[in-house]
Parts: sequence; structure tokens; C-alpha cells
Amino acid sequence: MNAPFYKYGLFNDEVSLIVAVLIGIGFGFFLERAGFGSARKLAAQFYFTDMTVLKVMFTAVVTAMIGLYYLSVFGVVDLSLVYLTPTFLLPQVVGGLLLGFGFVIGGYCPGTSCVAAATGKYDGWVYLLGMFLGILVFGELFPLVEKFYYMTPMRTVTLPQVLGLPYGLIVFLVSVMAVGAFAAAEWGERKMAAKKAEEKS
Amino acid sequence: MKLFAQLGRMTLNQKLAALLLVLGFLAVFLGDPYRRAKAAIDDKELALIVEKQVDHVSAEELADWIIQGRADYRLIDLRSEAEYAAYHIPTAENIPLTELPNAELMRNEKIVLYSEGGIHSAQAWFLLRAKGYKAVYMLFGGLEEWKDKILFPVIPADVPPAEEKRYAKMAEISRFFGGTPQTSGETMTQRPNVNLPAPAPVAAPSAAPKPQGKKKKEGC
Repeated sequence: MNAPFYKYGLFNDEVSLIVAVLIGIGFGFFLERAGFGSARKLAAQFYFTDMTVLKVMFTAVVTAMIGLYYLSVFGVVDLSLVYLTPTFLLPQVVGGLLLGFGFVIGGYCPGTSCVAAATGKYDGWVYLLGMFLGILVFGELFPLVEKFYYMTPMRTVTLPQVLGLPYGLIVFLVSVMAVGAFAAAEWGERKMAAKKAEEKS
Repeated sequence: MKLFAQLGRMTLNQKLAALLLVLGFLAVFLGDPYRRAKAAIDDKELALIVEKQVDHVSAEELADWIIQGRADYRLIDLRSEAEYAAYHIPTAENIPLTELPNAELMRNEKIVLYSEGGIHSAQAWFLLRAKGYKAVYMLFGGLEEWKDKILFPVIPADVPPAEEKRYAKMAEISRFFGGTPQTSGETMTQRPNVNLPAPAPVAAPSAAPKPQGKKKKEGC
């Protein structure tokens, strides 16, 4: 066991920030390569004409899952030290809906709006400004929403804990789910494309 | 052979999907990665540490650190909550020994442990070392030693002039932590009953007691 590197003290706070910047640039680069710098491409997901968002995100999920799982099984990563976001069910559901509305209306999520801004899209900049403004407003109003913010705490939970299933089985089920979703997405895309071609002719 | 021919006809995406299914399927038999986080310890390294006593922090050193307001370490009180509430060394956090495995300690932190005597802190020290914590220290002699050396140091009635400064400092440190220096003329039996200072007396102005240690904000 010698990872996560930061938790094992391989580098300090300052170096961790440099590492974060490098990983962030990598993240942005691949979002852009996937075409996520364009609000049109992202919005197409919600009309089921282009399922790239689903495919990219699900690929990221299963890649991380398989990678972390096997690294920890082989004793490289200590999973108990990997940070898990604590679950506060109700506020997170509301937050998720809010993010979804913003995503549908404007065509970006926080990460992709940075990509859009970096690639010179004006709407990306509007998004960035809105994000910082929102953070400011939220920060100022925090005492008012604090009670809601900490509602329905479930601490850090993972799927194996919630479902009471063995960890390895969950890995397998999520893999099957991902492959199923990929196949369904491609099938859906072909259907939608055929429908579009029909309408045109 | 047929299988390979079929593999050759697959697109890259299909191959990756197949790989995902294979790896996912194998995971069913490989089990839970959390349970594999077994503790291991390097016995030679351990022997060296024990021999050289580098895993100890003396009561005097710790007192100095607190007075200086140093914040590069976390002081952990391993006793029960009630005992902690009755008295604890300023700046100490309470993590009872039984809860130590679940405590949010980071492996890159300097951790100083203490208990009433030395046994619990030694057990906790071993546990943390085995779990890969590198910078774990024990307060030498535990809280007993802290009381003897820091809170209620015994100062001889007639201090030789050469030693005067040292004893004056001892007395000052004792008063800083709310203790009372004892003169050797007084009966020693009285010592354990001396009123312990109120919990968490505020140390130096710079050393405001850290409430929960430094909680790192993580996540996105």
C-alpha cells in the first residue's frame, strides 16, 4: 500500500495544488476532445440525438471503478483513505435537480462551462460569471439554508453498503449496466438519425 | 482460433466493452478491497525505533510545543470522554482507543498520543504504525508523567545556585498550565489529590486550543 500519495505524505499541500492543476488541465483537455466545449453537443443529450455525454461519463465511471478496484485488490491503493463525499440525501437530490435545470437551460455543467470559456465561447464565460456570483450569494445566504444543507445525513455510503451486496458483485453489475447503456445509446442514436433522415425526405 | 478471428473483427469499442465485462466478472471472485487493507509492520524498523526511543516525546518537550503554539502536530487523548472532560492537556483532542481505527487521522500528520500511563498509548502507537502512519509519537510516561513533571514538579527547598534558573523555569511552566510547583519539604502523598486545573486552560495567546484539529476540505 503506498497510495493515495498525498495521504501517505509523499508530497505536501503546496505540491498537491500543483498536482491538482495538472489533473484539472488533463480533465479539461479530454472534455474538450469529447466535444464538451459546445453547448449544442451537450444539449443534444437531452433530446437523445447524441448520447456522447452518457457514453463519456459512464466510461469515466467504469474506468475509475475497475482501476481503483484492481489497484486496491493488488494492494497498491488503500481504498479506505480515498475521500468519499458524505451523503445528505434530500439537499443533494434538490441540488442535483437544480444542476440538471441549469444544464438543460444553458447547455453546460460547471466543468464543461470552464472548457467552453477556455475555448473562447461567450456563453461559457456567462456561465463562469454566473457560477461565481452563485457561489457568492450562496455563501452569504448560508446561515439561512444551513439547516437544510445538513438535512438527512447518511455519512459516507457506498453501493455495496446500501444494497448489502458483495463489493465484487457490484463491480460486475455496474460493468454490465455500462455495457448495456452503451449498446442502448448507440441503438437509440441510430434510431434518432433514421427518424431525422425520414423527416428530411 | 475461431475466437481470435472473431476478436479481430470486433471494433475497438467492442473490445473495450468485452474487457470491461471480463474484468467486472473477475471482480465477483476477488472480493472486497476494503477487507484487504490489512495491517503490516516492518519488525526490524520497529525494533530500531524502540531501541533508539525516537518514538517518544517527553513531557517537557510537549509543554514547550504547547507554549510555543506549534500547530504541526495533533495531540490525541486516548482516554474515555469522561476522563477527558475532567482534565486533558491543553490542545488535546479526545479519541478513545476503541475509536482510533475509525478516526480521521492522516498518514502525513505528526501524531502525539497519550493515555493515563503508557500502556494504551503504546497499543495505539502500534496500531497506527501497523496501519502505515509514519509519524506517531507517545508522550513518555503518559498523563502521570505530565502531572509529575509539568503540573506538580517537585522543587527542592534549597536550590543550588547553578540550578536556580532551571527550577524557576519549571515552576513557571507549571503555573502556565495551571499547576502548582511542590517543594520537596511538603508531603508527597498530597500530590495526587491536588486540584487539577480546569479543563483546557487557554494556553499562550498564539496557542488557541484547536477544536477538532485541522479538518481538510476535500472533494469537488
